[in-house]
Amino acid sequence: MSFGKSSINKNSSGYFFVMPFVLIFLTFGLWPLINTFRLSFTDTILMSRTFKYVGIKNFFIIFNDPSFLKAFKNTAYIWVLNFIPQIGLALLFSVWFTSKRLKLKGVGMFRTLFYLPNILMPAAIAALFASLFDFYGPANQILVRLGVLPEAMMFFRNSSFTQIMVIYIQWFMWFGQTIIIIMAGMTSISGDFYASAMIDGANSGQMFRKITLPMLRPVMVYTLVTSLVGGMQMFDIPFMLTDGRGAPNGSIMTANVFMYMKYSSSKGHIGLASTVGVIIFVITSVVALGIFKILRDPDEAAAKKKRS
Amino acid sequence: MKYKTNTNIQKTIIYIILIIITIICIIPIWLLLVNSTRSTPAIQSGVSLIPSNNLIVNYKILSSRGLNIWRAVGNSFYISIFSTLFGVYFSVMTAYGLKVYTFKGRKFLNNFILILVLVPMQTSIIGFYQYMSKLHLLNSYIPLIIPAAASAATVFFALQYLDAIIIKDLIHAARIDGCSEFGIFQKVMLPIAAPGMFTLAIFGFVGSWNNFFTPFILISKMEKYTLPMLVQTLRGDAYKTELGAIYLGLAMSIFPILVVYSIFAKSIVSGIAMGAVKE
Repeated sequence: MSFGKSSINKNSSGYFFVMPFVLIFLTFGLWPLINTFRLSFTDTILMSRTFKYVGIKNFFIIFNDPSFLKAFKNTAYIWVLNFIPQIGLALLFSVWFTSKRLKLKGVGMFRTLFYLPNILMPAAIAALFASLFDFYGPANQILVRLGVLPEAMMFFRNSSFTQIMVIYIQWFMWFGQTIIIIMAGMTSISGDFYASAMIDGANSGQMFRKITLPMLRPVMVYTLVTSLVGGMQMFDIPFMLTDGRGAPNGSIMTANVFMYMKYSSSKGHIGLASTVGVIIFVITSVVALGIFKILRDPDEAAAKKKRS
Repeated sequence: MKYKTNTNIQKTIIYIILIIITIICIIPIWLLLVNSTRSTPAIQSGVSLIPSNNLIVNYKILSSRGLNIWRAVGNSFYISIFSTLFGVYFSVMTAYGLKVYTFKGRKFLNNFILILVLVPMQTSIIGFYQYMSKLHLLNSYIPLIIPAAASAATVFFALQYLDAIIIKDLIHAARIDGCSEFGIFQKVMLPIAAPGMFTLAIFGFVGSWNNFFTPFILISKMEKYTLPMLVQTLRGDAYKTELGAIYLGLAMSIFPILVVYSIFAKSIVSGIAMGAVKE
């Protein structure tokens, strides 16, 4: 963006405006990241001032730790199973909400209510669901009274149930946001495309596949990648729902919970914990940026390059 | 005619589905609020959707077992307000610098910020912790407030927003009037950007209010606890049998956000899509 001659000599002022961000990012963003990488090659523990560099020994330890692989699998599993219904529901609801044929009323109200769980404190939501599904909690009361369960059940002793619970809470907290974003994407598609498709005799299914989905691609990629990055860092819900160690049987021990367990272990092994952080960081970044590069419409990317 | 009936049947089914999903969203939150007014024996004996009259008793129990919820509320407010002010002001300033000036490294910084949005910075928490401990900033709110000024996501949103509202002629005119570059930003840009900054501020506030992980790692002194940390403590032994008090604690921690949301829902919902969709 250029403002013509009068602005040329003012352009160095740009540095002044971005300076605070750059300085604070270097001190509170980049350096801690570098420090984490540095620590991941050391045997630093919380209680001791001395440490030594141990090369890639920590990485060997972590990769050979069955708990780590389990934590990684859990994270991926929980994320995938919460994301699929999120995006599915978002596509379906957005089609309904934007349909000119249906002309649904109260769309704004529904969206507002669907988004509500997202802005509530995850710690409180986790504690809430822990109480709702407690042995003496309302879920048991209702299910026993309705005859669905013969007797009250220890929900959080069951691995599959507990995993499903985390998946459900993650879905519950995020589907509203996904609906809003997908719907905004659909609304921004020009009506002309549909009009000319209609003239060509296309039915609504064809229009959805041939116009809506391709045009939604950038928005879908954005949703996928941001959800993935957030999902890989999932901590509050699985940490607070049970004992903070992924009980029962480590079924909801996510990668970040595992990292915290290393950090809070009796010795406070922050070298190893950093290694876990580095592994999550590298894998997530590579996957997220990879998906972003590959899936984003190449034409769009080229157009963007030209524009800026 | 038949077409219309079909549409009506379809609409009825859709409304039923939408109402079911709405109930799914609201019931847990409603139960939480209602249970905070019920006694523990009542909660244990059955579900109710109607508030009861045990709120004050629950509050007495909640505040009598060593947890100071008002202090945690105050701490959370303090951190959330200052990190929001910091975050929004400097993010808009950064975005403004990137949009209005062409300087060396501008493109790099711009792309770098976009990449930062897609990178899980939270995983560097251990290095952050160790560094803060060296600086003697554990149990201080500085590491919870200052880094907000370098939030890539906020800058990203601010960039999209400024795209729509920067008026070149206005900046030109202010320059001709002899306004300094910083003066233009302060006196011309900020007032125009105020509505968008307000939306960013709501998101900043909510994010900071709900943040559990960072304070949980950095803060260990009880009197410095934030609300999410207090919620975690509530699940401990001292309150194990006091369900009414636990629900009240949870209700108090989400209540301010419920109020904010009921007032500003519109700008919040429209703000979400701001980063994802270029209009």
